[in-house]
Amino acid sequence: MRLTTRTTFLLLVGPIGFFLLFFVIPFAQLVKESLFGPQGWTLDNYTSVLTDAYYWKALVDTLVISLLVTLVSFLAGYPLAYFMIFHLRSAALRRLIYVVLVTPLFTSNIVRAFGWIVILGRRGMVNAGLLALGAVEAPVDLLYNKASIIIGLAYILLPLMVLTVCSILQSIDRSLIDAARDLGASPSVAFFSVTLPLSLPGVVAGSIIIFALSASAYVIPSILSGGREIVMSMLIFQQYMATFRPDVGATLSVVLLVVTLALIAAYAYGVERRTRVAM
Amino acid sequence: MMIPEDYRNRIGRVFLGGIASLVLVFLAVPLIVVVALSFTTTSYLAFPPVGMTTRWYAAVLGDPTFIDAFVVSSELAALATGVALLLGIPAALVLARKSFPGRRLISAAFLSPLVLPTIVLGAAILQYASTLGFARTFAALLVGHVVLVTPYVIRTVLASLSGMENVLEEAAQDLGATPSETFFLITLPLIKPGVIAGALFAFINSWINVEVSIFNSTSRLMTIPVKLFNYVQFNIDPRLAAVSALTIYFAVALVVVIDLMVGLERAAINTTADGRAS
Repeated sequence: MRLTTRTTFLLLVGPIGFFLLFFVIPFAQLVKESLFGPQGWTLDNYTSVLTDAYYWKALVDTLVISLLVTLVSFLAGYPLAYFMIFHLRSAALRRLIYVVLVTPLFTSNIVRAFGWIVILGRRGMVNAGLLALGAVEAPVDLLYNKASIIIGLAYILLPLMVLTVCSILQSIDRSLIDAARDLGASPSVAFFSVTLPLSLPGVVAGSIIIFALSASAYVIPSILSGGREIVMSMLIFQQYMATFRPDVGATLSVVLLVVTLALIAAYAYGVERRTRVAM
Repeated sequence: MMIPEDYRNRIGRVFLGGIASLVLVFLAVPLIVVVALSFTTTSYLAFPPVGMTTRWYAAVLGDPTFIDAFVVSSELAALATGVALLLGIPAALVLARKSFPGRRLISAAFLSPLVLPTIVLGAAILQYASTLGFARTFAALLVGHVVLVTPYVIRTVLASLSGMENVLEEAAQDLGATPSETFFLITLPLIKPGVIAGALFAFINSWINVEVSIFNSTSRLMTIPVKLFNYVQFNIDPRLAAVSALTIYFAVALVVVIDLMVGLERAAINTTADGRAS
């Protein structure tokens, strides 16, 4: 449709106005809060946060957890997506798989975390199984550590990786794979030199989303850590709702945001350079 | 020893199918377990569930605080979706059909709530609403949720618009239709599946949100996920399983509705995966 400048303006004024009022300005205010002290503009909040080992540990833990979640999601999600696109012939089965993929996305994080408590808890499914098999004599602690946070996060974010990779695998021209096979490449050679490189943009997009969402996830870590592990989002929440230090909360938010975005940018840049060299 | 190639291929396929099945089990089991436990007759949660009773559902449905939370969640999600459609469809239309300086920037800004930390969005809205004097009200919840879910509408509508032939719209305009006639008679009917999918994804993402809601909740104004979040810190009991199971039934119902109305596969890929439209 051809849109005149006037129509364009009329159509955009609502959404842009709303986002300015309730998204851009609130974020700007948050940044200002982090840079403002009793005596006006200052970097004090940042120096006190960045020189505190406690905050550093939380930041590093957050990033390590997010990295592992991204890795797990890729290792588990890629094979499933590949299977769905290249091997699954039954349309009904494929539909069922989409239901299994999307239903968790439509369920609250609380419910999903609760599911893992029930599975991994002391009276949970895994412990019941281990006890019945006689593998252990008393219930083992499987919950409330980094591993349970990683399992919980990978569980909620995995569908996003599968869907992103599916979307790109679908768009790959199959004749390229056939050509590689006709020219004598074994299936694994064809996969590693044709299919995988062509699907890389989907993997990159998926891993960026998953990394960003893990780094900022609040519900899953706070339930599945049992308070024994601390990630950045939990600290941010505490500063606002328990210790009532919005200035520190805002500073931690900005630090989390900047570090996450910087890592994502570095990753995207690195991938782009490597693909360009390879081509 | 040489293994014949098609035999090797078969091993590979079985292996791949095995991994795929394991991943699917990993995805399905937590929800199935919650549903199973919601019927246990014991007053604590233990696996496997004992017996079969619906009394936890009766307990939940007889508890007015749960009902209130269900009502708040539903009103909030419905209103947020409505506003998101009013903001998102015009925005997507312009982004898809007009090129102008700053277009990419605006598009990135509209979609950024999808990747920005939702907890930071919640905190920012609370702080902003406090300055303006509407903190911890339904209005504060609503604006936060609108920002949160509008990107889903924009993304699906953008995907539908870029998959649709522009020539039909131009023909209508050449024949004298005004932009609004063109939109309502040509464009909207053609992008309807995208609009429906976007609306349902917007609704559900508002319905399940904790991070944005929790900052602006009070003991009398609480959505169902926030209520569950507070509950789970102190009690882990079959009542919790029953409420959770109710939300799972709702999710499954919505998934089926999406599949019947617009096709789940396309809707899911367009909304969650990078729709390659922007």
